[in-house]
Amino acid sequence: MNRMAPKCTSYKRLAAHAAVIAICLYVSAARAVPSFARQTGMACAACHTVFPELTPFGREFKLNGYVIDNLKQIKGVTMERRETMSLNSLPPLSVMLQVSYTHTAVALPDSAVSGALAKDGEVLFPQQASFFYAGKIADNLGAFMQLTYNGAADHFGFDNTDVRYARYLSLEGEGQDSGSAGAALSKHSLLYGFTLNNNPTVQDPWNTTPAWGFPYSGSSVAPSPNASAKIDSGGGGIGQNAAGLGAYIWLDHALYAELSAYSAAKTGGAHPLDSTQGAVMHGLAPYWRLGYESRWERHSLFVGTYGIVAGIHPGNGLALRGPVDRYTDTAGDVQYQFIGDQHLLTVLATYIHENQRLDSSFANGLASNATDTLNTSKATVEYSYQRMIGGALGAFSTTGSADALLYPSGGVSGHSDGSPASRGYIAEVNFLPWLNTKLQLQYVGYSKFNGAVSNYSGIERNASGNNTLYLLLWVNY
Amino acid sequence: MQTFARLGMTLAACALSGAAARAADIAPEVARSAQQLAATTCANCHGAGGRSTAPTFPNLAAQTAPYLQAQLHAFRDQTRADPDALAYMWGMASQLSDQTIEAISAYYAAQPAPKAKAGDAKLMAQGKLIFEEGVAAQGIPACATCHGPQARGNAIFPRLAGQHADYLVKQMLVIQSALRAAPVMHGVIKDLPQVQMRAVAIYLESLGS
Repeated sequence: MNRMAPKCTSYKRLAAHAAVIAICLYVSAARAVPSFARQTGMACAACHTVFPELTPFGREFKLNGYVIDNLKQIKGVTMERRETMSLNSLPPLSVMLQVSYTHTAVALPDSAVSGALAKDGEVLFPQQASFFYAGKIADNLGAFMQLTYNGAADHFGFDNTDVRYARYLSLEGEGQDSGSAGAALSKHSLLYGFTLNNNPTVQDPWNTTPAWGFPYSGSSVAPSPNASAKIDSGGGGIGQNAAGLGAYIWLDHALYAELSAYSAAKTGGAHPLDSTQGAVMHGLAPYWRLGYESRWERHSLFVGTYGIVAGIHPGNGLALRGPVDRYTDTAGDVQYQFIGDQHLLTVLATYIHENQRLDSSFANGLASNATDTLNTSKATVEYSYQRMIGGALGAFSTTGSADALLYPSGGVSGHSDGSPASRGYIAEVNFLPWLNTKLQLQYVGYSKFNGAVSNYSGIERNASGNNTLYLLLWVNY
Repeated sequence: MQTFARLGMTLAACALSGAAARAADIAPEVARSAQQLAATTCANCHGAGGRSTAPTFPNLAAQTAPYLQAQLHAFRDQTRADPDALAYMWGMASQLSDQTIEAISAYYAAQPAPKAKAGDAKLMAQGKLIFEEGVAAQGIPACATCHGPQARGNAIFPRLAGQHADYLVKQMLVIQSALRAAPVMHGVIKDLPQVQMRAVAIYLESLGS
């Protein structure tokens, strides 16, 4: 144990720094772009209940490859009438700006002066500013690409990206004359597509999965729970550190099935990737998604499952070879929507179970156990009146096996008793004076934070000390 | 029946000052392209074959071709300006050619009608009375006069049978408030209370093919 102590302290420090960096870099994936509206000629309300949450048509638009367009096209054609080009007359560009104010219940410790407190109440202008290319590239080929400036990290980089190709497979029934305007269509429709993206679930059209799940925006400077499943870790996990290629089908606007494979694709740092990088994926990580959506009148109900099996080298001083940590995330999700002319209601829920087989971390003294588990639950109810005034109430919980090395104490992002457990709620009020402008007041309350209700991480700070008031102005143009 | 249909087409031609939508006159490649458009784009809201799920989006199946043509022209020309027309159809119709409008209208007109849906019996009875006899006290004529005895439409006068009740009420409201320009219909329903709109809409939704 003594032999491990210096290493452990060093790893503790490393973990603490990594957590702080993760908090700073973490940006909720929450995008909705007017370039889609310009391309389709349709109002935001066609695709969104309240942005960025998608309506059934919004999901169809995404699954169709972002290519439904109603703009004049610039075309190229061969003598055989084969189209060689079909470009929108306007490029599908958009801009997003988020300006925020964050206040935590108890000010955070100063990062340099022992015993001192940092300034409480922080304005970020911007918290985030993004540029998008979002729309059609060619017939059947479209993209959602985002470049983001993060105010807290003072960093400009590649953000969520999803390039996809999609088309319908003709399923005409017997005896039908497809050449006649009066011909009946087949009873079945099959859309198939391919997606190339950099974040597992960014390609998903339901708002239960991590990349597009609630909350759609949150403070980038307030502390947030440290432990999260790999698929749910945003920019600090696999997301935006991977490249994935997948194929999907969408049968009868109801059954969705997708199989993708992800590989490490980190930006920045040493290249080729080496031991100076942290958390580098090993080989290919399969990702799956299966679900069924039922629609009736103004209602829709989706029930699905998703998950990933990812091998990860811890890196950060350890060579990217030998045993790897293997994470198996298995998740279930449910989404219900009611979209009325006046009232809109959405219920979102997901549960993620993660098995961690920590062959590398355990062997290298980064984990106390050879295997651990982590369970994440989230449930949210959202309401909006006329897409103008609304709110949301969500609950979240993380539980899992205690692991003193994996979840060390120390600092604001440290743990108590090696426990990853956190739980709390998120309450939001939204006002949208225009469909592309959102004013949001959010309160995040913690009843447990990184393993304890009070004095977590041994720093005489209670879970409720991290309760966060967050005010956001979110503009898309 | 054929004579009736031909008469309807002629009326539509007069009303639209354009060519009538007759499937036989539409070039096969245009018809195929329109069918493709219907299956890959329109169906996302209006359902396969124009039988929609959500009442935000009207059933198009078995709708009269002249009416569909007139509406698509109105969306494209931005002369129909109720909120949903702006939000959804101005964009969707903006690049449609006359030929495509004609072909897509003919396609939907030829689709099997949506299934009827029975509602509250009392409301259906009230609605039937209004539809067939009008409301004499308010000077409202029978809807059947223009829309046909079974509400199957007549040329430019749309089919209402089997249409979503919520959609019908919404259209009556936007026509009544002149958000949607339909001068004849506006004159007919300008004094129709919403409860009676609901009753007649419930009755119409209950009518099958």
